[in-house]
Amino acid sequence: MSKKIKFGIIFLSKIFRGNILKKIFKCKFCGAPLHKDCVALNKKLIGRNVKEFVCLTCMADDFDCTEEDLRDKIEEFKEQGCTLFL
Amino acid sequence: MIYADNAATTQIDDDALNLMIELQKNFFANPSSSYKLSRPIKKILNESREKIAACINAEPQEIFFTSGGTESNNWAIKSFAEKNIITSAIEHKSIINSCLYAQNYLHCTATFLPVDNFGSVNPDDLQKNILPQTKIISVMFANNEVGTIQPIKKLAEIAHSHGKIFHTDAVQAVGHIPIDVKDLGIDMLSSSAHKFNGPKGIGFLYAAKNLNLIPFHDGGGQEFSKRAGTENFPAIAAMALALEKNCADMKSYSEKVSACSKILIERLKENNVDFILNGGENRLPGHLSLSFKNFDGETILHRLDLKNIYVSTGSACNAGQIKISHVLKAMKIPADYVQGTIRVTFGRNNTFDDAEKIADAITKIIGLKNFKS
Repeated sequence: MSKKIKFGIIFLSKIFRGNILKKIFKCKFCGAPLHKDCVALNKKLIGRNVKEFVCLTCMADDFDCTEEDLRDKIEEFKEQGCTLFL
Repeated sequence: MIYADNAATTQIDDDALNLMIELQKNFFANPSSSYKLSRPIKKILNESREKIAACINAEPQEIFFTSGGTESNNWAIKSFAEKNIITSAIEHKSIINSCLYAQNYLHCTATFLPVDNFGSVNPDDLQKNILPQTKIISVMFANNEVGTIQPIKKLAEIAHSHGKIFHTDAVQAVGHIPIDVKDLGIDMLSSSAHKFNGPKGIGFLYAAKNLNLIPFHDGGGQEFSKRAGTENFPAIAAMALALEKNCADMKSYSEKVSACSKILIERLKENNVDFILNGGENRLPGHLSLSFKNFDGETILHRLDLKNIYVSTGSACNAGQIKISHVLKAMKIPADYVQGTIRVTFGRNNTFDDAEKIADAITKIIGLKNFKS
């Protein structure tokens, strides 16, 4: 097999794998899968460099607020045009 | 709820609010009309002007009612924008943008004086930068972000020694610290009622009687033919009452909010929080700009919001980038602290307990566990 074809196959397989295996974030406490808005909220409310994320339920528990408060925050950030929530 | 953002706005005084409602409802005539229905309104308007003038040691005919600090600032700058204006690098946007307008449209240059690490203008810098063609110098009385009080008397002296006009944006200072325009040598001063427990949408410009102020609005003869438009006299009366009350109570208010600030600072130190207090010692009472190491001010603001604690921040997220305020940049706050800046400003309604709760909430957000609760 020529080098060009080999590299082409490797390149395409990386793209293919990337599309199939989208990164799934899970809550570091309860293991619940996280929606992208929840991931963005983690970055806004914990820090942009955060590596481990929490779900809304665990976040509300830790922050001593309600899940509705957190959903309101998500909407607030979206209305402000925050690009983390795009 | 703990509201600790009194530099943004203050809660209206109850008496001022009741007065405004009463006047709106029962004194609805136009103050400019000639019949007897308008006479008590004219009287209230004159009395309001006298009250405000007395609070800053001005004369009543030197007080012009405006829609607030932004209008007053625009009016002051644009009235005298000729060839060169001098201002500071940490002014409110209404001054900075008025100066930029003058640069772009009024054939004027603008000089922005630097500040030191405490946010203070050095009078020597003003002395060095005054040009023969400078007409007006504008330096804010106290900065809205960090609370630093400027050496106004010295700056005004330097301005006058060169025959220049001195204006000060005193929006944060009026009603909170004593101001005597004659003693300080101030030619023009801007103020806004909602910063001293008055209603929103009303303020005033003090302009010394020897100044030839250009009319801001053309039309009827209101405000000595300098600012046309039917007066919002319920708001004016409420503003005068709020200012009078604040000035009468100034000493005890100052002691209380200063004590709140001290409690918060001491509590943060006890909790081993790593922070900088911006602005030095000569600050507005109750005004704290705090920068936390390696943290994000916006994060602190929103986390406090979830706890119903309301403060403001020195940075803002703008399309994914954190934008630091021009004031903090000018003060050269260390890079690892500046992004973690919040502003806490105590007011009349805050208590010592509020100060402790804010400190403990910040400590928890920053992530330290060894604090008293």
